[in-house]
Amino acid sequence: MNDKALPRPVEARALHPLTSLTLMLLAVVAGAALPETALVLAVYLSLLVPLAALAHRLREFLRTCLRVLWPFVVSLVLIQGFFTPGPSVLFRLGPFSYTLEGLGVALLFSARLLVGLGAATLLTMITRPDALMRALVERGLPNQIAYIVVTTLQIVPTFQARARAILDAQRSRGLETEGPITTRIRALAPLVSPLILSSLMEIEERAIALEARAFTRAGPRTSLVTLTDTRLQSAARWCMLLLGLAAVAVRLTVWRAL
Amino acid sequence: MIVVSGLRFRYAGTHRDALHAIDLAVGTGELVGVVGANGAGKSSLCYTLSGYIPHFYTGSIEGDVLVAGHDVRRTPVSEMVSDVGLVFQNPFNQISGARYTVLEEVAFGLENLGVEQAELRPRAMDALRATGLENLADRSPFTLSGGEQQRLAIAAVMAMRPKVLVLDEPTSQLDPAGTRSIFEVLQRLAREGKTTIVLTEHKLGWLAAFVDRLVVLHAGQLVADGPPRDVLSQALEQPWGVGATRYTRAAQAAVQRKILSAAAPLPVTLEQALESLR
Repeated sequence: MNDKALPRPVEARALHPLTSLTLMLLAVVAGAALPETALVLAVYLSLLVPLAALAHRLREFLRTCLRVLWPFVVSLVLIQGFFTPGPSVLFRLGPFSYTLEGLGVALLFSARLLVGLGAATLLTMITRPDALMRALVERGLPNQIAYIVVTTLQIVPTFQARARAILDAQRSRGLETEGPITTRIRALAPLVSPLILSSLMEIEERAIALEARAFTRAGPRTSLVTLTDTRLQSAARWCMLLLGLAAVAVRLTVWRAL
Repeated sequence: MIVVSGLRFRYAGTHRDALHAIDLAVGTGELVGVVGANGAGKSSLCYTLSGYIPHFYTGSIEGDVLVAGHDVRRTPVSEMVSDVGLVFQNPFNQISGARYTVLEEVAFGLENLGVEQAELRPRAMDALRATGLENLADRSPFTLSGGEQQRLAIAAVMAMRPKVLVLDEPTSQLDPAGTRSIFEVLQRLAREGKTTIVLTEHKLGWLAAFVDRLVVLHAGQLVADGPPRDVLSQALEQPWGVGATRYTRAAQAAVQRKILSAAAPLPVTLEQALESLR
């Protein structure tokens, strides 16, 4: 049906999925709480980059971050520069003036975005979604939600393959899909509606298949994968949680004006 | 193991019985083939035996359906599932998507059944070996071919070791070699005596060679039930749309051209054809 499946994330055996999750959440919270661009960047460089290197995924990690980040940086630098008022004007463009303060804000936002993006990217690289969900189910997350998350991640490539198949099928029937914008808009309905309809029809069979695999059965379940957790990791998670809370508290009090 | 009496079912919102006055009894360890034209009610029968009718597909139902000791009308599917397994046609939609490898996919059903952890891997591997997928255990289920996915769907339900296994056209995407291996697995399962199997199939040649008993559905009614040879020669005279195996057709042509005597019953398998030529 499709040749492109989601590549399997490398198993980071050393870290319990919840430890990775907490670590990444801490990075995001710290990035959002710290008031200086340099400090936010320090979180990225001292926490996320070394972890990516440890997981042997550094190049991929940096490439993904940069590729997603740069359009945001460009628009932030342009817009914030002109729209943030301030005394130090760098240059003027007609009635608009570009301020140093604006540039500063743009860079701070970019750095925060980089940390958030990096944390999310790294999490997907060092943790298998099913392991993470398993860990969350063990702690009370409903099985159904875990299923939805994991399945959605796996089904995306299939969905893309189907979209391509529909595109080809409609083209072979003479549908114009290229050219001026009006033509493209007109082509949208015959492309999107079969995609949605076929997916809806599939749901019925998927529901039966899940029932057939005892998904809705009441009673205890077992798991092929055992997650290894250690006291050290558990303690580290609590510390990180406290650290994150502290960062929020400081942000709301001491650094309030920044 | 299966007792169906006076079953009538009509899907909600339709005006015709999908199944009508069905009586069927299947003993433990029997391997029964169900044939019939498209729309004859084969899938509906499969869904009824596994409880999806009337709990998932609703409608009006009459009669009694007892499968593996469960009164289907009163037992929710989530309870039936530990004793009755269902494999249906489209293999792609039977992949749960909740697991990353073929092995994990097979183990998924076992995890949900609460099978002991030490048992999970051996049982899943057994099912993979039986279906010839052991070399693909670490692959993503989504990268498999249609035929491999179909075998995976069968392995996933087989691993759950149901007392009754219901398969709705389980070999539709398989080549002859794949079809043979599935029929051999099913025959072995049935011969071991613990599993009762009902399967619908259009490939008459395979059915004739492998099943003990053939049942014909026509317009929602059970019109024939017996050994494949009797049923298939009976089907030649009837408007059931069942067709005939190549051996039966050849023998029929031979009878018409007076090469074979019309006295003997028509063969349905290669073995029988060779015998009638003697």
